Amino acid sequence: MSVFTLAQAAKEEVLLKELSALVEHHRDRCEPYARILAANGYAGASSVAELPWLPVRLFKNLELKSIPDDEVFKVLTSSGTTGEVSRIYLDKAAAATQTRQLGATVQSVLGPKRLPMLLVDTKAMLADRRSFSARGAGVLGMATFGRDHVWALDGAGRVDLEAIRGFLDKHGGEPFLIFGFTYLVWLHLYEVARDNGLDLSNGILIHSGGWKKLVDQAVSPEEFRARLADVGLTRTHNFYGMVEQIGTIFLEGPSGGSLYCPDFADVVVRDPQTWAELPPGRPGLLVVVSTLPTSYPGHVLLTEDLGVVHGIDDGDWPGKRFSVLGRLPRAEARGCSDTYREDS
Amino acid sequence: MSVRFRFGVEGELTAPSGDRLTVGDPRVVGFLSGLARRLLAPAVARRHPELGSLGYFLRPAELTRAVARMEREDAMIFPRGNVFHVPPANVDTIFVYSWALSALAGNHNVVRISERSAAAADTIIEALNATLADADPIIGRTQRMVTYGRDDAITAALSRWCDLRVIWGGDAAVDTIRKQPLRPSARDLTFPDRTSWAALSVAGWRAADPAARRRAVVGFSNDAYWFDQAACSSPRTVFLVGEDGDEVRAEFLALLLEVVDQRGWTVDAAMAVEKRVNAYGLAATGAVTAMEFPANTVTAMSLAGVPDAPRRWIGAGAFPFARVDSLLDLVPAMNRQDQTFSHFGFAPAELRAFATALGGRGVDRIVPFGSALTFSAVWDGYDLPREFTRLTTIAS
Repeated sequence: MSVFTLAQAAKEEVLLKELSALVEHHRDRCEPYARILAANGYAGASSVAELPWLPVRLFKNLELKSIPDDEVFKVLTSSGTTGEVSRIYLDKAAAATQTRQLGATVQSVLGPKRLPMLLVDTKAMLADRRSFSARGAGVLGMATFGRDHVWALDGAGRVDLEAIRGFLDKHGGEPFLIFGFTYLVWLHLYEVARDNGLDLSNGILIHSGGWKKLVDQAVSPEEFRARLADVGLTRTHNFYGMVEQIGTIFLEGPSGGSLYCPDFADVVVRDPQTWAELPPGRPGLLVVVSTLPTSYPGHVLLTEDLGVVHGIDDGDWPGKRFSVLGRLPRAEARGCSDTYREDS
Repeated sequence: MSVRFRFGVEGELTAPSGDRLTVGDPRVVGFLSGLARRLLAPAVARRHPELGSLGYFLRPAELTRAVARMEREDAMIFPRGNVFHVPPANVDTIFVYSWALSALAGNHNVVRISERSAAAADTIIEALNATLADADPIIGRTQRMVTYGRDDAITAALSRWCDLRVIWGGDAAVDTIRKQPLRPSARDLTFPDRTSWAALSVAGWRAADPAARRRAVVGFSNDAYWFDQAACSSPRTVFLVGEDGDEVRAEFLALLLEVVDQRGWTVDAAMAVEKRVNAYGLAATGAVTAMEFPANTVTAMSLAGVPDAPRRWIGAGAFPFARVDSLLDLVPAMNRQDQTFSHFGFAPAELRAFATALGGRGVDRIVPFGSALTFSAVWDGYDLPREFTRLTTIAS
């Protein structure tokens, strides 16, 4: 079972229809969204690239939802770098759909059965209310796809070698799932496995969380993959996703180097000068589309991430394959009103 | 306490001094004239056009005029004393205007220069130090420019030392620095957050020939783009005054795009996204009813009404438009925060009637397109030379 099945042309046909319907759905139910479309003169789209996008940062500044207050089942928040918080409103149906589709996506590489799961994180992180944000939600969201969970880090965030050894003794002979943030996996699993001769060869690693911290240590995605293969961990899948499109993740294919879009999602790379769609090989700003957001208008989002499409229908799975290259810096005013910002 | 001296003699900043300068002291005039020559040197002006305007402001003739204006018949005029300047970080030239007028008034000055000051500030400091070599030593002893990091103790000591504290940089800066008490006899001169506007007369535009329209747009583009539209005097919303302004607006925008392109001003991807975020945000609340993104350099928006005009910065090259029948229709929307009102195509009587109706409740400067950023000794409603001096009356 896989959600990576549709070739690009077939996918775009389905997505255009469903996303155009979602545009109307949100236009009818979310007044701020309707105002934006009106001000932008939206009059229908004849391709996925023509669909009207919202800058993802709008969810930090505005309350955007397409459901009445009494149907709000869950409000997801993400802390941004500047302390602004996105607020994403889900009703029961949207919450169920996002869990189901996230499950279907990871099962594409894990298979239908829940696997024993090693979490490269600390349980204490869940108790700490201040840090319980995207990280906690990500770990908890993923934890439902495993069983017999073991935390690889102790309460103080140090490697719990005994716990890892215990997990491997019990489950290391069968397929098992490893989940964690990329830099935690690098710092706390790779080095420990290498130094202690741990056998991770039956593991399937799913990891995310950006490369910045690793790039600072001069670890590229290719090197990450190669070094983990050295300790037997050959099945690794990075993913890209955001709380503003909860439930949708773009998953690295088995041979590595590219992220793939599930059947209900896609990416468009735009030239940040002309805003036109860019062909494969040309980096630009990433627009992410997904049919999952029904309770808030997050179905077509302009991210502040730079990315590049490497190819279409030519990789491990059909559709576009792409990479995320980094983040756009935040624009700063060089105005009169900033004498003391450095100090306050 | 780590203070980096950028200009002037190193030493205890708040130590008592026996040096005495007078209002319009020839040693200061000589120094400032020397500085003006360096700033007007073609190599400098090419790199930093804004320093050219500064150099012009500091020419001997200008200085003499400024000193003459300080004189009065009913009182003797003297320096205020010690002045502590806290200029904004990134509008590189303002600190020089404020300091130069204060020096001309004969004050002992300490200017705190931000650690984040931009390239033009370094050029100015180089020019200041180069000029110092030929100047009277009293200049270096009485005029100091320093950089220091987060250190309330230094700010506190300078606040107790000064007779006048000049705080630029907006509401937050004013509030932060005001936590440090002044001596009872001292006071603050504050430059809080400001908003600036532009107004275009539809009739005036129609009456202008193509060359005049183009000059207007060139002036406007300088006003708007020089400091990424973020200086307190940078115009943001453009009010179209008169009937049937759509065509005039379209022509104005087309010319603006052309001029900005010719000048080679660009807007990077981050700024383009910033503008989208802000424009979409204004549309979402209903403040903006139409948006145009003809190029990253120019974003145009139609406001639902005058009261919807944003007072915060929304990006470099972001222009909300609103239409009114007459300048007088803008009066209710103006308030104390409003500083510069740049205009094109109005008769002097219209502008005077507008200022009269405002009655000082808002808008400190009404200037033609192209002059919004031109610093003047009267700024933010203050006559700066007067603020920098004190008066002694004498009756025999």
